[in-house]
This record gives sequence, C-alpha cells and structure tokens, in this order.
Amino acid sequence: MPWPKAIIHVDMDAFYASVEQRDDPNLRGKPVIVGGHPRRGVVLAASYEVRPFGVRSAMPMARAVKLAPHAVVARPRFAAYADASEQVFDIFESFTPLVEPLSLDEAFLDVTGSLKLFGTPSQIAARIRERIAAEVRLPASAGIASVKFVAKIASDLAKPNGQKEVPPESTRDFLAPLPVARLWGVGPKSEQTLKALGLRTIADVAAREPKWLERKLGVVGTHLWELSHAIDPREVVPDRGAKSIGAEDTFEEDQDGPEALAPHIHSQALRVGRRLRRAGVKARVVQLKLKYSDFKLVTRRVTLKEPTDDGQALYRAAMDQLGRASLERKVRLTGVSAQELRSDGEQQCLFQAGPRRAEKLNSALDKIADRYGRGAVVTADLAGDEPDDRDDETRRKVGASRAGGRG
Amino acid sequence: MEFRIAAEELRKALYRAQGIVEKKTTMPILANVLVTASKTGVTVTAFDLDIGVVSEHPAEVLKPGAVTLSAKYVFDIVQSLPEAQLTLRKLPNSYAEIISGPAHFKIVGMAPEEFPKLPKEENAQLAKVSGSTLLEMIRKTSFAISTDETRYILNGVFLEPREGGKGRMVATDGHRLSLVERELSGEIKLKGGVIIPRKGLFELKRLLDEAPDAECQLGFADSSALFKKPGLTMVMRLIDGQFPEYQRVIPKEGERQISVPRVRFLEALKRISLLSADKSNAVKIQLAPGVLRITANNPDLGEAKDELEVPYQGAEITIGFNARYLADVLSVIDTDEVAFELGDEHSPGVLHAPGDKSYTAVVMPMRV
Repeated sequence: MPWPKAIIHVDMDAFYASVEQRDDPNLRGKPVIVGGHPRRGVVLAASYEVRPFGVRSAMPMARAVKLAPHAVVARPRFAAYADASEQVFDIFESFTPLVEPLSLDEAFLDVTGSLKLFGTPSQIAARIRERIAAEVRLPASAGIASVKFVAKIASDLAKPNGQKEVPPESTRDFLAPLPVARLWGVGPKSEQTLKALGLRTIADVAAREPKWLERKLGVVGTHLWELSHAIDPREVVPDRGAKSIGAEDTFEEDQDGPEALAPHIHSQALRVGRRLRRAGVKARVVQLKLKYSDFKLVTRRVTLKEPTDDGQALYRAAMDQLGRASLERKVRLTGVSAQELRSDGEQQCLFQAGPRRAEKLNSALDKIADRYGRGAVVTADLAGDEPDDRDDETRRKVGASRAGGRG
Repeated sequence: MEFRIAAEELRKALYRAQGIVEKKTTMPILANVLVTASKTGVTVTAFDLDIGVVSEHPAEVLKPGAVTLSAKYVFDIVQSLPEAQLTLRKLPNSYAEIISGPAHFKIVGMAPEEFPKLPKEENAQLAKVSGSTLLEMIRKTSFAISTDETRYILNGVFLEPREGGKGRMVATDGHRLSLVERELSGEIKLKGGVIIPRKGLFELKRLLDEAPDAECQLGFADSSALFKKPGLTMVMRLIDGQFPEYQRVIPKEGERQISVPRVRFLEALKRISLLSADKSNAVKIQLAPGVLRITANNPDLGEAKDELEVPYQGAEITIGFNARYLADVLSVIDTDEVAFELGDEHSPGVLHAPGDKSYTAVVMPMRV
C-alpha cells in the first residue's frame, strides 16, 4: 500500500542530558540529571543511565536526588541546547520544507513530497538520524506513520536511539492493544473516565459506536473514536503557513507579581519575534496566556495598530495585557503568541520614527545570534538568567531553505 | 420658561448638536443640550468639553429660562410632530413638556446649572474666511488624518498662516500626507500653526455644508479655536503639541514625472486592488516606456493587471503602493490630468494638479 501521507516524528533522546554528555566526556555513560535548584527546582532532563532509578523529567529535584544520590547534577546551558536544536532543524529542513516544530527537540516532518527524492519514509528517517549522529553527535528517535499522532507514539516506542515504522495498512492493528492514555488528548483525568466506562485499550474505544461515545463524553467522544480508527486529518504546519507562532514556559517555581513575570514574558516575546522574522511574517494580534497555580488558564489578546515582527513591540503589547489580568494568585506558566499573521508588503513611513530603528536593530541582532548563538546579546532584564527554552520552538537559518522549498 | 418656535428651527438646532453630544459618557449631562430662552430668542448649546456649538434661533418667548434635554430624543420628537409649530415649557423638577397641536410629550431633563460652561473666547481675533474655501481645504486633507490614537498629534489637521493672506492645511497619518494652500479672504492672526482635531474639523465641515456661501469668521486664542457664522458660534479645544516638520518629507522634484488621466487611473486602482493580498490594498505600479501597469496578486484568489498609456520614456521601475492612499488623493483632485512623480522603490510618490503644487499629496510606497 502506498503512503497517502508520510509523516515522521523525530524526538531527541534525553536532549539536554545528551548535550551535557556530549560536551563533557566525564559524564558519558554516567547517570546525569539536568535541573535547576537542588531543592526547589525540577528535573529538566534525565539521561538514560539514571532512568532505571525512577528519575523522570518534571519531577522535583529534591526527589530525584533522593532516588539517585550517585547521579551527576548539571546546571542547564540553554544556549548550547538552542545551538544543537538549530543544527538538528537545519538537517530536517534539508529533507522537507514541511517541518512543524513542537519544541526545541521535537518536530513533525511531512515527507510525502520527498519520497521520490530521498527514498522510503523509513530510509529518510534513518538518514536524518544518521546525519544528526554524525553532524551534531546526539541520539534521536523517529516514528514513521501516515498520521501525526501515530508517528508520535511510534517514536516514543522506538526510544532510545531507534526508529519504528507503522505502515498505513497496519495502523489500526498497531493501535489496538495500546492503553487509551496513548490517544491524543487523554490525560490522567480522562483516562479515569474512560476506564470507568470499561475502555482500557484503544481497541475498546474503536469497537464502540461513535454515537455511544458522544453520548458519554460529548464531542471528545467522537474525536477519540476517530483517533482510535487512525483518523487524524491534522496537517504538518510549518511556521510559514502557521496561523500563530507562540512560546511559553512553565516555571520551576510559581511566580508572583508583574515584576517577576516580566522577564519571562520578555524572553518569550523576543523568541516569538525572531521566529516571525524567520518565517517572513508579521502579526496583527498578540495574545498573552497565563496559567495560575490552581491550573486555571486565562488569555488576553489585543489587535495591534500595525502588524509587527518586533519582539519589543510584542513585549509591550503582552505587558499591557498582563495589566488586564488578575495577579492575585501565583502564576505557573506564561506564554506569548502572535496571531493573524500576514506576509504582504509593508507600508513605509514618511517620518522615520520607531519602527525603522527597531527593524535595523533586529536585523543586526539576528545576524549576531546566527553567528555566535542567541546568548551572545540579551536584554538587561534577561542577562545572567538564560532564557528557558524547554517549550520553545526556536531555530535559526531556516528562512532561506524554507522559502526555497515553497517556491 | 416657555416659548413657541417653528419645529423646523428647533430641528435645525438639534441637528447641529447630534455630532457633538456624547452618547457613551460617564457624564450623562453631556448627552443633553442646554436650551435657553431670552428676550432675543432661543439658543441651543451642545458641548462635549472639547467642542461646543451655540445655535441661535428666533422664537416667541413667553417666559425666559433654561432646561437641558436629551439631544437625541428631543431631535426624534421634533421631527415627528404633527404641526409646524411647537410650544416648549419647563415644568417643576427639571421636566419639560413639548406641545404641538393635540400631541403632548412630558420629558425628563436635568438641571441647567449642571451643564458645563463653555470657554469664553473674547480674546480671539476673528478673521473673515470664505466658507467654500475652508470646505475645499478640509475635503482635500481630512482623509489623511491619522486615526491611531497613540499618535494624537496626527489626529488633526495642521492649519498654518502663509504670506499674502493665505492659509495652509496639512494632514498626515505617517504613511501619506496631504497639503493644500488657499487664499482666505481675511488674514488669520496666528503665530506658527495650530492643530484642529478630527472631530472638530468634521463638525465644522457639517456646519459649513449647511450654507457654504455664508459669511464666516475664524479666530484663535490660547488653545482654542472660535468659528462664527450668522446665528451660530463654535468653540473647540485644539490639539496641544508640535506638528511634525512636514516640509522635510515633501520631495523637491521626482526623477520621473508623468501626466496620468485622473479618472482612468482611479478606476484602475480600485479594480486591481480587489485582488490585493490580505485586504492590504497593496498593488504594484510598474512604469515602463509608454505604459503604466498596475498589478496585484493574492495567493488565495489570483492576480489582476491593468494598463494606462502614459508619455513615459525612462528606465523601467516597479513600486508598491497602498491603492487606497492613491485613490483617496485622486478623488479630491479636480483636474482631468494628474502629475504623478516618482523616485526609486523606496521614495515617496507625489501627486498634484499639472503645473500647480498648491495642492500636493505625498504617498510612501509599500515594500513588495
């Protein structure tokens, strides 16, 4: 059976920890934990050597150190991770322009159009992983499938340093025995609900009537039924065709008050600005997202007078929105996203005021970042406190190859 | 207070008030007009704290006094009365009644003492101006006023006295600029220039439109403008600030100058911009020997092209423009041909009547 669509999900293995092991020979083959403050921070990455002891990312550092007292704890070096990420994304872009970043170390690739050029989906995945190993010296795993969420499951099962293909005709058989928690959008809470309904495996969901699921679960029920039958029409969306571009961070500790949040929002706005410029688009709408300590989520958005790709302008707009949100509770996550993107010609100004200067500055900063890494020049409020890129989708130098690819 | 008045007179007074009274305001009294009856007649005053209009009307005053009433509701009532005459009488507790034939309205008002006082403009030195000239100047500049409230200096039109009793109006939103210079019959007494706010300018235009040939007077004092014509006084607060150095951005002479048939150019711009990307109105203007070509393309819709014959013999050049900015200008020029001057891709386009720069528009290009 030919591939109606060939999607590869590439996920770097224990990304931060692998970078540390690559750069420090003393850490190779040893249990390594990358994390912040030993008492208050959380684990950002755990090498495969330390995982048998039960250490996982997002776990409090205090607990991780107790589980694996012999492990080496490394402070995160985000600039190094961003650089590695960029090299990896450059490799992705050399195989297809349709790369959808999920985070610094993870992406979907639609290689349907590349099959004639580079071989079967599995061959492409193998070549990508070989090149990452040779050029960036890091391990990566890949899942190959005809729909996005199956590719993601496959890469997870292939870890570490492996790849797994799920041919289109065997997708349903592949899914059948897996637990329902593997379905996209099923968290611990909905997993309990599904179990209460007697649905333990994906096959259990697939065997039900969609109407029955809808009655029990609402629209989510229909969606889960579709996923269980490997129906997932979501496309791979590269930044250039994206509806929005955003960056967000969950903090190691909940933050209190606008002064504590400002540097995080600033860093996110600057990251979004960079990605807008790389994709050659400008945003008309800026949205600020806040998740409070009680997990309640609020968003505030504003339409700008003029579309922008300037991180500082995004920051100002986002901070205005912060003023409209309640800060009575602590905040565990902030996010800035740029929406209503457009790439049409830009109106020039009679009186060369702010925008022009910002443009020149951004173009100079982008060049410095391209050459020396993004830590080379940072704003004063972010200096010394390197931006946290865990959930970011940042990479450089993709603009040119992408533009070429789309012709 | 009690008076008899022609319904048409009161309607005219309330019509003048409609654009000024505030509909959404934290001060409810600003939605009202102040109606004052004295021996000489009736005045109706509308004021939003920035712009005030006092309209005077003949009436048979039986008892002097004052009330304030909703500008909107009384306007609607007056327009729907059965007879040509009405009686307006003040009742206790700020109520008022309007009687016309058998029709009777009892209306809630507010105490006249609560109505804010208009600034007194005795210091203003009034100069005679031609209403129709003022109208022309407003029409040729007001479309370029910025609506971006963060650039409040540009939220109005700059009025500047020039030598020989001339006046100059300039408006810009930072992307385009429109300038007109005309002879006003009297000499406006002004040091430097003033910025007349958008809303005030449009109210002034409405008042001038009533009778463009009426004798008008205009004057300035402190930070206000005063406008008078028979039976009407208008005061408005001016925008306080320094208008940008606009002369700096008007190019002396474009490298390329062509004469373009105005209506033909205007229509072509309108039809080609139907296919501009993302509602941006972006079009490309290509100038090649003998031809001016307008193109647009929209990745979702398709592309469009139109051509005009022009007497051009230079090197080929393509410049992006917002078609609406050009169309706005072409709509207010009165000649059949328009002089269109261009520099390079990054320089502004300049439009004016052939051989006459007393009206000049400058439009910045778009990067395409």
